[in-house]
Amino acid sequence: MPEPSTSRDLRLDFFRGVSLILIFIDHIPENILSYFTLQAVAFFDAAEVFIFISGFTAALVYGRRLANKGALYATAQVLRRAWQLYVAHIFLFVLFIAEVSYTATAFNNPMYNEEMRVTDFLDKPHIAVIKALLLEFQPNFLDILPLYILMLVIFPAILLGMQRHWLLVLVPSVIVYLAVQVFDISVPAYPEGHVWYFNPLAWQFLFVTGTVLGDRMRRGTSLVGPLRLAYPVAAVILMTATMVKVSWTIHGVWEPFPGLFLKELWPINKNNLSPIRLVTFFALVVLVARLVPRHARFLGSAAARPLVLCGQQSLEIFCLGILLSALGHFVLAEYDSAMVMQLAVNAAGIVAMFLTAKMIDWYKAMDRMPAAAGGRGKIAR
Amino acid sequence: MLVGFAGAAVAVLALSAPGRAEPPECEVPPELLEVSVKLPHLAERLGARRPVTIVAIGGGSTKGAAAGAPELAYPQRLQVALAGYYPDVPIAVVNKGVPRQSTQEMVERFPTDVIAEDPVLVVWEAGISDAVRGIEIEDFAPALQAGIDEVKNRAIDIVLVDMQFSRRTSTVINFEQYLKALHRIGDLNEVYVFPRFEMMRYWSEQNVFDFDEVTEAERGRLAAKVYDCIGRRLAQAIRAAVE
Repeated sequence: MPEPSTSRDLRLDFFRGVSLILIFIDHIPENILSYFTLQAVAFFDAAEVFIFISGFTAALVYGRRLANKGALYATAQVLRRAWQLYVAHIFLFVLFIAEVSYTATAFNNPMYNEEMRVTDFLDKPHIAVIKALLLEFQPNFLDILPLYILMLVIFPAILLGMQRHWLLVLVPSVIVYLAVQVFDISVPAYPEGHVWYFNPLAWQFLFVTGTVLGDRMRRGTSLVGPLRLAYPVAAVILMTATMVKVSWTIHGVWEPFPGLFLKELWPINKNNLSPIRLVTFFALVVLVARLVPRHARFLGSAAARPLVLCGQQSLEIFCLGILLSALGHFVLAEYDSAMVMQLAVNAAGIVAMFLTAKMIDWYKAMDRMPAAAGGRGKIAR
Repeated sequence: MLVGFAGAAVAVLALSAPGRAEPPECEVPPELLEVSVKLPHLAERLGARRPVTIVAIGGGSTKGAAAGAPELAYPQRLQVALAGYYPDVPIAVVNKGVPRQSTQEMVERFPTDVIAEDPVLVVWEAGISDAVRGIEIEDFAPALQAGIDEVKNRAIDIVLVDMQFSRRTSTVINFEQYLKALHRIGDLNEVYVFPRFEMMRYWSEQNVFDFDEVTEAERGRLAAKVYDCIGRRLAQAIRAAVE
């Protein structure tokens, strides 16, 4: 039996860092770089990576705390994290309101007023604010955090369930996911007629799968056997899917190039996490788990370091990314959207994310320092 | 003889410059005027010089209230521009714009508002409300497909018109994926999509129409100019698709 993990699995940090950068890039509309992110070559995008890894890491971190300090302690810790996310969400919401209010006052064109009343909610701010506090109001780009918050709120139950048996968690999760696919159930949001962009009843499956795998890994269950079996199938699925999706992307830019199975497969549902997205994403997970060893040298390299740091400070960097993409888009829309400018905006945003991650890491190291200097044993994790 | 020659000269003039005083601000790059699909039923009707009815169905920008008068909306400007191209064919463009309707809601009024008018061509402007209301692409695309099928199955030609461009709204509404979906549906069905979004973006980048530093009344006049340009370019695209 392999030894239970004690050191951090840098793969998780690295790929979560990558997903945060990709989410930033994808959130700038009409961004040239978005032709080179996951969504251009795969049926899924960075959102899947983020939610899956978040589930996986949560199982590792809080599973350890549950084992060491008991259910009450672990639950309290998870809920504190959910609260931090909630505060971050409200912070982003305030920024969004500022942006929309600015747009509304600067908006003088009668050709749009009649139709594009995005500022309707400013007429009833009391309701909009309450709905935002209730996570029901999810304007543009403020939709992943509510899902993540909800996942953390139910996470203590998942954790305790897994302690008895992982099937106790996975089976209900699969059933709910399948029910969504068959009956097209969605979760209502505000304003009326809107739904949760990331349907939590569907996306919970990805998070739960992540937690179950993370929990297995923490307990030292070897996944090498199943991985070896799944590997060829996953490789074929992913290669086929990539070929199809790339053909669509090229077709979108240059029409004479044929889009393979475009008529049959498109559009692919994101809200409900269509099985095509899910299956191809799992194929990627299998491939990465098999091809990227846990102690792969590049993970410790200086080049990978900024991404690893971003992944480790995921909450802060996620919020910063959302903020920066809104800012970047504003710059492109108001001043200049030439390709050079687009690249400059992308580069500036990514550097800002790297530096912020570095800074937060430095602060956290400072917080840990006195204990180490006092010689009171190991540095607390 | 002389009279005949003069008549022919006028006809040539009318063909080459239908609106005669073509406003320079309506110009767009040539690649935005490329049309690769045909409108066979309209072509046949025009060839036979029989009366043509075109239905323009869409949202607020089809209704065109911003310009201040019904005859200033783009469907009416289209009718005027087409009359310039085909002076000997009676052409009527019927405006069925209703603001703030989703694509699905528009499809639901196809039987009464479109089919009942017995058109030979339908100009369908769709997608703005879907983007504003955040309707899922997976609902938007099938609704659009259903509308196209309904029209095509009745041997009626169809042209799609994409969204209006505005620098500012795009910070709060994500049009991109609806725009892509609309063009993809057009492509899959071999239906021409009039690139209004790109044209308006071009005008915006060239600062042709500046809505920011002007009075309320001036904004209405500007809107009328934009609709006029849209009508002219659309007429040009339709002519290219019947030749």
